[in-house]
Amino acid sequence: MKTDIYEKMEILSNSAKYDVSCSSSGVETNFKKGELGATHTSGICHSYTPDGRCISLLKVLLTNICIYDCAYCINRVSNDIQRAVFTPRELADITINFYKRNYIEGLFLSSGIVKTEDHTMTLILKALKILRHEYKFNGYIHVKLIPGSSMELVEQIVKLANRVSSNIELPSDKSLKLLAPNKTKEKVLQPLKYARDLSLEKNQKPIGMSTQLIIGATPESDKDILKLSSALYDKALLKRVYYSAYIPVNDDKNLPSIISKPPMLREHRLYQADWLLRFYDFTWNEIVNDEFPNLDEDLDPKAFWAINNLKYFPMEINTASKEELLRIPGIGARGVFKILKARRFKRLTFHDLKKLKISIKKAKYFITCDKEFQKEIPFYKENIRTALIKPEPKQIIQQPSLFDLSSITGEI
Amino acid sequence: MILIYDNSFEGFLSLVYDVFYQKLKPLKIHKKLPNEMIFEEIHFIKTNEEKYTKVLKAIKSNFSKQSIEKILNIFMCDSKNFEMHLLEYIILGFKSKKELLNINNSCVFYLTNLEKELFKNVHKMYAFIRFEELEDCSLYGKLECKFNVVYFLAKHFLKRFNNQNFIIHDINRKLAFIKIDNNFSIQKVSDFEDPNYSQNEEKFQKLWKSFFKGVTIKERINLKLQQNQVPLIYRTYMSEFN
Repeated sequence: MKTDIYEKMEILSNSAKYDVSCSSSGVETNFKKGELGATHTSGICHSYTPDGRCISLLKVLLTNICIYDCAYCINRVSNDIQRAVFTPRELADITINFYKRNYIEGLFLSSGIVKTEDHTMTLILKALKILRHEYKFNGYIHVKLIPGSSMELVEQIVKLANRVSSNIELPSDKSLKLLAPNKTKEKVLQPLKYARDLSLEKNQKPIGMSTQLIIGATPESDKDILKLSSALYDKALLKRVYYSAYIPVNDDKNLPSIISKPPMLREHRLYQADWLLRFYDFTWNEIVNDEFPNLDEDLDPKAFWAINNLKYFPMEINTASKEELLRIPGIGARGVFKILKARRFKRLTFHDLKKLKISIKKAKYFITCDKEFQKEIPFYKENIRTALIKPEPKQIIQQPSLFDLSSITGEI
Repeated sequence: MILIYDNSFEGFLSLVYDVFYQKLKPLKIHKKLPNEMIFEEIHFIKTNEEKYTKVLKAIKSNFSKQSIEKILNIFMCDSKNFEMHLLEYIILGFKSKKELLNINNSCVFYLTNLEKELFKNVHKMYAFIRFEELEDCSLYGKLECKFNVVYFLAKHFLKRFNNQNFIIHDINRKLAFIKIDNNFSIQKVSDFEDPNYSQNEEKFQKLWKSFFKGVTIKERINLKLQQNQVPLIYRTYMSEFN
């Protein structure tokens, strides 16, 4: 059956949607006179889908035909679904036309495996060459490297792309063996290691790389996950790890069958923890340990760390160092920046923080401002915890009833 | 006392001159005579070349590059009543350059936040302005925004569409940035007929909608979050929302 181009687009974008990564940031502007396209350092989200996720790149598969049979994947060979294929030229044309209309920042290209790994990578490379060489396109291109493809192909792709990635998907080898019998963690990370080594050899700034982990499909704890992410960041292998709440797409005896909703809160907490690793100088074992292998549901990871480490608090806003300020729950990098800027001119009080529009809803339990401090909640772990979780009391205004005589007679 | 100036940058600099040398004590500054009754004394500022060049020269030699840029940026926030704060800021700058970095000062804080709001709007327009292809292959983008962002968008898209001809049209301010080959400028547009679109236009808008439909994950639908990210006000010219 022949599908028209609109159906094809819907099938192939639908097959790519479980890849969470859609960032177009972190590349310095690379505009060239007389050419098309430039990247934007902070990245740009051009639209948001009804699920609230950003659209920055044209995220599609070249094809959803695949020879593999991974249990968690919608495109596995044993699934009876509609299949479609873009030619490299078709895809390049659509990318250029979308870019000119300012729909996208560029292309996020992935693919199912057709015939062999190398054959698939060659098709991807062809699309990239048309874009970069023929159309002189300098926009953002993110390519999913195919595990098991040859080093020469990886090298050529790395030269043309802005970012490459390869998804580990499952946080342990045991789970991988169970659900994706054709993959191992080593095999998945192999092309990324190639890419890193290539740029190290040439003394270049390494290309940005990322991976994705599925959350909630297998029994790993948050500790296992964060330990893995942190190891990947430490080895300077990756710039980003993405977390994707598991959504059942296939029935498989090895997968949790009854999940009414994807574990979104857990995904959210993992991202918060991930930020602490990357921007707040936390180590994974400060956030999770054997006693608490999973992240707290009620408190964000920073607040959780703080109430378990009250010895560092309360902190004096006017004297704490930048690193210390960053550890205060409820105060982020921007808030710290404002505090540092403002305290050069005067000693800050609670009123000053309010004027600077720094939220102290969470922070007030952990700070002193020029010796001022909050006095309602005693400085004990349990009291602060309750205060942080408890929602602000709503004022209930009772309307006196016409027939309620107690207000007149004073009866109770 | 209420001061009224002609809404131009030069007019505002003349106002600064008068306030400084005539020791005026304004309570409010308006762009035009307000409709409601006023019991205050009203003073009209005349834009005067000698005055504004003098003030501009003084600002250029006394203020840091960043502060000058901030003053210019604030002038793009034309839907806000920033004048009293800006006047205070400029007077403060002549007293002490260093004080302009003190965000504890209310006028510095106000202008810093307003500038941030401007850049937020600029960034949203980078993202949400849409171009359509015309018969002659040039690209035409319409926009409506509470601040005057055409200049910023022009700079941004000159990098991206360096080998294209394009127009960015601010519908409400009747301004357009037009680039044809190597010539470009911002022009006033009094009336504008809807142009003829290229044959491809419909096809790619339809493809874009197919893509938009395809990438949505139904299990995660969260329209409130979507609306936080793309408030309705930006959606007028975004085809995926129509």
